[in-house]
Amino acid sequence: MSGHGREIVFENVSKFYGEVLGVNRVNLTIPPGITSLVGPNGSGKTTLMNLMTGLLRPTQGHIDVLGVPPDQPERLFRFVGYCTQFDSFPRGMTGYQFVYSYLLLHGKSHEEAADLTTDAIERVRLTDAAHRKIAGYSKGMRQRIKLAHAISHWPKVLVLDEPLNGLDPLVRAETIALFRSLAQEGQYVIISSHILHEVDAISDQVILLSSGYVVAEGQIHGVRTEVEEHPMQILIRCGQPATLASRIFELDTVVEARVHNDGKGLLVRTRDPERFYLLLNRLVVDGVDVESIAPADDDVHSVYEYLIGPDGGAI
Amino acid sequence: MAVYKRSYRGYAGPVTSEWSRFAIIPRYAYRGLFRSKIMTAFFVICFIPPLVFLFLIYLANNIGSFAKMFGVTGATSPFAVDGEFFATYLGIQAALSFILTAFVGPGLVSGDLANRALTLYLSRPFTRAEYVVGKMSVLLVLLSLITWFPGLILFAVQAVLGGPAWLIQHLWIAWALFAGSWIWILVVSLLALALSAWVKWRIAAGALLLAVFFVAAAFGEAVNAVLEVHWGKLINLTYLFATVWNRLFRSRETFEISEASAWLMLGLICAACLALLNRKLRAFEVVR
Repeated sequence: MSGHGREIVFENVSKFYGEVLGVNRVNLTIPPGITSLVGPNGSGKTTLMNLMTGLLRPTQGHIDVLGVPPDQPERLFRFVGYCTQFDSFPRGMTGYQFVYSYLLLHGKSHEEAADLTTDAIERVRLTDAAHRKIAGYSKGMRQRIKLAHAISHWPKVLVLDEPLNGLDPLVRAETIALFRSLAQEGQYVIISSHILHEVDAISDQVILLSSGYVVAEGQIHGVRTEVEEHPMQILIRCGQPATLASRIFELDTVVEARVHNDGKGLLVRTRDPERFYLLLNRLVVDGVDVESIAPADDDVHSVYEYLIGPDGGAI
Repeated sequence: MAVYKRSYRGYAGPVTSEWSRFAIIPRYAYRGLFRSKIMTAFFVICFIPPLVFLFLIYLANNIGSFAKMFGVTGATSPFAVDGEFFATYLGIQAALSFILTAFVGPGLVSGDLANRALTLYLSRPFTRAEYVVGKMSVLLVLLSLITWFPGLILFAVQAVLGGPAWLIQHLWIAWALFAGSWIWILVVSLLALALSAWVKWRIAAGALLLAVFFVAAAFGEAVNAVLEVHWGKLINLTYLFATVWNRLFRSRETFEISEASAWLMLGLICAACLALLNRKLRAFEVVR
């Protein structure tokens, strides 16, 4: 049973490995849904996950997972499932045995464990290979059996370290669909990933980490809006971009406008997108032909680049 | 903004008791261990001495009948079934159990640490202490089966054959067998686990276990010889056990170190092993 809390809360949490910084002064509140931890290698994603699951103890600060402190595994892992990035499987076990045996550690009876194992393996689409030895599994199959292992006891909080690594596009799409379905049921799915466009597509909120610090958190649009040093880019598709550009410079919120490489649109940079959209409406009413308007850098990739840098270094 | 149906319902059924959950580890460990024919064969061999001792007990109590078969009358047993008899039994079984420990012990923890598999256990409702108890119970049960358990059966057989008078007079032997075996089992098991956790390599851990017993003993003797002292015996584990067993089995043999110092040293070894396990058995090792 989970505690009474409804969120995962980090309060001023720091973790130091001797003199090496893991994460520093992290204050976070993670609601239900899919939350992605994004950051370059060594930014503290795995440390944050290990702290959340009690496998590491914070040097300072307090963590609360739905009302349960992570240093109580007997209570915590009743409703938390964790899938690490490392492949570690007991020698000689089949996929089925791997999931089944660890369900016994959860205190499930043999019959219950058997039912839950079958169900978990079905959910990751690995039924055909369930009774084959894991040693003979492909990388993608190993990822899936690890996922089955993590979800087998129906956890409310699912912490997954790099779960999409090694999956082929089809399985990746199925896995993402599984995450979505879990999130829609009200579960907390916390994922770390390097694949930014997928993070963008699946996440309800993101946590950007760099060098052990939380650089940004929240829904990606909200985060982007707050990055004021970088004016918002908006792509306006239209038939006559040059004409539109001359009219757009009449608007005082625009700091840059350039014709798109394909000549069929205009890339505009503005510090006040809301006001810009209103003013643009007037131009359209005045007879300027506009096919579509869409933010061009309102995604994880851009936010990552602005806040962390294209090479993954800290800002 | 996602809209959540909150249809999730976690598992609310019954679970097995927490105290018994450690037993899952030995259950799987035995399955793996007895897949090895060498291990199975050696384990069977470990029961030969108890059978020999059983025969000796029978022989000692029925020497007259045996002698008659060969036409000899008035024969008496050349040995007595006493504390020394059972101490010899325990010595032999301890030696066999040491070989068994060297075979089984090092692989119990090292594999999990080397493959970072400890996370698999610790991301369950399972503590590090339960993990250690689970792994240690693999050795505790195996070693018990070849030391005090058959020892007490031998004692019971002798009690039946020797009669109530013998039983009352020698009841302390049962305690000596039980306590002596457990001291040995605990120290050797803890050492095997700690060394396995320390070096994370099965073969090296096995070699280290042998070194702790034999190289340390040789070093201790060298210290004694060079410095003309006795305390070198304190790092001779075999000698420490002999000293402790000596008192338990009421032997008249004298030892170069006091019984108290032997107990203290064994206690320190156990404490060091626990400290090492506490430091090494973590889901993620912090490399400074």
